[in-house]
Amino acid sequence: MIALALVLAATADAGLKPGLAAHAPEPVAARAFAATTPLQLLTLPSKTPIVSIRLVFKAGSVDDPKGKEGLTALTTRLILEGGTEKLTGAQLREALFPMAGQIGGDTDKDLTAFAGRVHQEKLDAFLALFSDVLLHPRFDPKELERLRDSALNTVQVRLRQENDEELGKVSLDALLYAGHPYRHAVVGTAQGLKAITLDDVKAQAAKLFSQDRAVLGIAGPVDEALSAKVVAAFQGLPAKGAPVTELPKASGIHGQSVIVQRDTLSTAGSFGFTWNLRRGDPDFFAVALALSYLGEHRQQHGVLFDELREKRGLNYGTYSYPEHFRQEGGSMLPMVNSLRRQQDMTVWLRPVEPQNGAFATRGATYFVNALLTQPMPKDRFETARGFLIGATRLREQKDQRRLGQAIDDLLSGTPGFYEQFRAALEKLTPEQVQAAAKKVLSIDRLNYVFVTKDADALKAAITSAGPNPISYPSPKPKDVLDLDPALASQPLPITSVTVLPASGVMEQ
Amino acid sequence: MVLPVLALCLAAAPPAASAFPFPATVTKLPNGLTVARVPASSPGLAAYYSVVRTGSRNEVEAGLTGFAHFFEHVMFKGTKAWPEGSRGNLLGSLGFSENAYTSDDVTVYHVSGPTSSLEKLIELEADRFLNLDFSEETFQTEAKAVLGEYHKNAASPGLKIEETLNAAAFAKHTYRHTTLGFYEDIKAMPTRYAYSKEFFKRWYTPDNVIVFVVGDFDDAKVMEWMQKYYGPWKGTAAKVVIPQESAVKGKDVKLEWDKPTLPRAYQAWITPAASLTAKDAAVAEVLGEYLVGETSPTFKSLVLEQQLVEHLGADSSPHRDPALFTLAATLKAEKDRDAVNAALTAAVKELQAGKVDAARVEAIRSHSRYALLMGLETPDQIADHLAYMAGVLGSPQAAATFQQQLSQVEPKDLVAYAKKHLTAARRNTLAFSAGAAK
Repeated sequence: MIALALVLAATADAGLKPGLAAHAPEPVAARAFAATTPLQLLTLPSKTPIVSIRLVFKAGSVDDPKGKEGLTALTTRLILEGGTEKLTGAQLREALFPMAGQIGGDTDKDLTAFAGRVHQEKLDAFLALFSDVLLHPRFDPKELERLRDSALNTVQVRLRQENDEELGKVSLDALLYAGHPYRHAVVGTAQGLKAITLDDVKAQAAKLFSQDRAVLGIAGPVDEALSAKVVAAFQGLPAKGAPVTELPKASGIHGQSVIVQRDTLSTAGSFGFTWNLRRGDPDFFAVALALSYLGEHRQQHGVLFDELREKRGLNYGTYSYPEHFRQEGGSMLPMVNSLRRQQDMTVWLRPVEPQNGAFATRGATYFVNALLTQPMPKDRFETARGFLIGATRLREQKDQRRLGQAIDDLLSGTPGFYEQFRAALEKLTPEQVQAAAKKVLSIDRLNYVFVTKDADALKAAITSAGPNPISYPSPKPKDVLDLDPALASQPLPITSVTVLPASGVMEQ
Repeated sequence: MVLPVLALCLAAAPPAASAFPFPATVTKLPNGLTVARVPASSPGLAAYYSVVRTGSRNEVEAGLTGFAHFFEHVMFKGTKAWPEGSRGNLLGSLGFSENAYTSDDVTVYHVSGPTSSLEKLIELEADRFLNLDFSEETFQTEAKAVLGEYHKNAASPGLKIEETLNAAAFAKHTYRHTTLGFYEDIKAMPTRYAYSKEFFKRWYTPDNVIVFVVGDFDDAKVMEWMQKYYGPWKGTAAKVVIPQESAVKGKDVKLEWDKPTLPRAYQAWITPAASLTAKDAAVAEVLGEYLVGETSPTFKSLVLEQQLVEHLGADSSPHRDPALFTLAATLKAEKDRDAVNAALTAAVKELQAGKVDAARVEAIRSHSRYALLMGLETPDQIADHLAYMAGVLGSPQAAATFQQQLSQVEPKDLVAYAKKHLTAARRNTLAFSAGAAK
C-alpha cells in the first residue's frame, strides 16, 4: 500500500498548465493553547436536574507515536468501554444502564474529551463509576482486540468504502499536513492500529491523562458541595504526564490535487489550505462572517448553496469554513473541543454527478474568488450576520456544549467567545469583512481533493484550460446561463495531480 | 373563533400528562389545524415544528414513490410573497436555523431561533403552507438535488439493505419502498411537475398538520398569530387506500454487495402499528432493548465475549401501520453467520418459552424514564420528540401516551408479544454479504 505523503512527493505531474500562483508555499506555524492550572475547574450552574461533567485533556492524535497511529483514540475507547479494575465492560454497562448514565468521549487532533451526564438523584453512584473509569481502567486485552477490530473496520471499510465525503476530508487532511502530526486520521492508520500493544495503551494513558493536561467542567445544579465532590473524585488522576507535544509548522502547500479513486456513483470534493487565522485574531470574526456568507454549514442562505444547488441543482450543498469543522453527531452544530493549534480553511463540495465534477469545482472556486473581488450584496450580508447572531445562541443551549465551549474559550484565550462574536457582528460592514478576507484568502492557495470513479477523466478536466461547460436537463433562467461560461472557464490553481486508490488511504 | 380544546378530550387517549415532563396546551383552529404549545426554560429561544402526517406511506401510485421526501425539498422553494431564496434569507437574517426530514409516516419541518422574531416566523411558515408557488424549472432543478442525495446515500450499503428487506417483507403495503423512493422513480421526478401540484393539494391541508411551539414565548400572542396567519388556510386531506398485507409469511433473501464491506445478518417481522389505545409499540421498544441491547445476554455473548459481531441492535420505531421489527447484526466474518443467527433465534425462542428476566425489564423501564429526562434538554429536543410521536399517532399528546405505555410494559407482555408476532413463519431474514475481501 502507498502512503499518501510519499506519493505526493514523487508524482508532481509535468506538463500541466501553469497554475495561478508560482510562489513558494509559506509554512504555517502552530499556536499553543493557553496555559492552565492542573485540573483547572470551570462551573456553569443551570436550572436542570441533570449534572454534566466534562474532562478535557490537552491530548490527541498528535500524541500518537510514529508507527502507532490511532493509539490515543484507541486508548480513549478502551478506557471508556473496557471496564474498570472492579467491573468488566459488561458489568460497567449494567451499572450505568438503569440510571441512563452517560459516559462518552471523543479524541481529536489536539484534545480528548470525556463527558459524563446523569440525573442528580443518581450522582453519587454515577460519579463513583465515572471516576473509576478514568482512574482505574481495566485495560482488558480482549477488549483491546475488539476495539482495535472496530477501528480497523472504520479505516478499511467505513472510511474507504462507504463514506466518500469523509474519505475526501481525511484525504485533504493528509494532503495539507503531509509530514506533520495532523496527517493521519484520528482513528489511526491500518498499519498503526495493528502495531499497537496493550503496553502501548497503558503507557499512553499514563502519559496523556494527567491533571497537568486537564480542565474539568461541571454544569447543572452545581453548588460548592457538588463541585468539591466532583473535584475530589478526579484528584486521583496522575499529577503529571508527558509534556504537551510541540507541533512543527505545516508546509503551507497549495495548488495540489489528489483524486481518490473508488467505484462510486458520484464525485465528492474537499478543498482547502492551512492558514494562520485563529480565534482571538483581530480579523477572525470578520473572516468567519465572510465564510458564513459564502457557505454556512448546511444552511440555504450561503452563496455556494444558492448558486450550486438552488440555481443549478448540482448537489446536496456546498459549504465553507474558517476553522477545521466537525459536525456534532446528526446535528448541524460544530463539535466543541475539536479546537486545533493548526488551522485550515476548507470548502466542502458534496457529491455531484461525475460529468459535472469539473464544472462544480470551477464554480465553487469562482464564488470563493468572487467573495474577494465582487461587492457583497447588502441583503445577503445581513442574512449571514443575522444568522450567526442567532446560531451562536443555539450553539449554547446544552450544558455539555456550554462546558465544551467554555473550555475552548479558556484554551484559545478568548473568554466569552460567542458574546464577543455577536458584539463584533453588530458592527461589521461588508467592506470590512471583504477587506479582512482578502488579507488571508486567495484561490491560488487552494488544494483540491476528490473521490470519484473515473479519475483520468476528472484529472483531464481539472487540468485543462477549460472551459468545462455544463448541460442541464431542464431550462434555466437567463442570469444563470449568462454566468455559467464564467464558472466553466474559472481557472483552477492546480499544478499537480495525484491519483490514489481508496484502498491505500490511511494504510500507514 | 379559536376553539380551545382540552388535551385529554382530543382523542380517546388515556390520561398521560404525568408521564411526560413537558405538558402541552393544545388548540384546534376552526380549519382543523392543531397547535400545541409547550413552555420550556430557554430564555429568548423557541423551536417551531410543523408535522405533516404524510410520509412515503402515502405514496400509493406506481411510479411516484419518493414524492413525500421530494416535496419536503420543494417546500423550501418559496411563494409569490416570498420567492425562492428570500424566505430563507429573511429567516437567516433573523437568526433562525431550519431544516426538515421525511420518514415513512411523517414530514417534519423544523425551525429554531429567537422568540423576538416568532411572529415573522409564523407568518413565513404559514405563507409556504398556504401559498407555495414553484416553477417547473425550479422543480426540475430540485429533482437533481434529490438524485444527488440518493447517490450520496448509495455510497454505503444501508440504503440497498433497507430496499431489499422492505421488498422481502412487504408485497403490497407502501412500506415496501424506502422514504427516498425507488431509484427509477427518483430519476423520473423531473417529469412529475403536474403531480407535485396534486400532491400539495392532497396532503398539505390544515387537518393533516400539527404545529408545536416549544420554549420561551407568550402563549396568547402565539395563538393570536397562529389564527391570523393560518386562519385563512382551507382544505381537507385526501383519503387514499393504503394496501394492507394479506399474508405475513416471511421470506429469506440474500444480498451481495459488490465492494468490500462487513457482512450483516437481519431478522425482521411485521409487527403491529403504534396506537393510542394499545401498547404494542411500547412493548416492541422494550423488547428490542431486552433482546439485543447492551445489557442483554446476547450482546454480551456475541459482541463482548465471542466477538463475532461488531454492532448489534434493534429497530422498533413506532409506525402508523404494521411495520418491521428488526434485529440487526454486523458480523466480523461471513463464517459466523449461522452462529449469530442461531443466537438471535435462541433469544427469541427463550422468550417464547416463557423465560423472561423481570429484573432486566425493570432496568429497561428505569432506563427509559431517565433517558427521556436527559434527552429533553433543549426546545429542539422536546419538539422533535413530540412531533414524531404526534405525527405517527395523530395526537399532540402522543409522546406522553407512549411514555405511559412504556411504563406499563410487564415481563409477560414481552412473552406474549414474542409468541404472537415473532414466529418463525413470519420471520424475514436478509443475509448481506461482502464482495471482495477487504
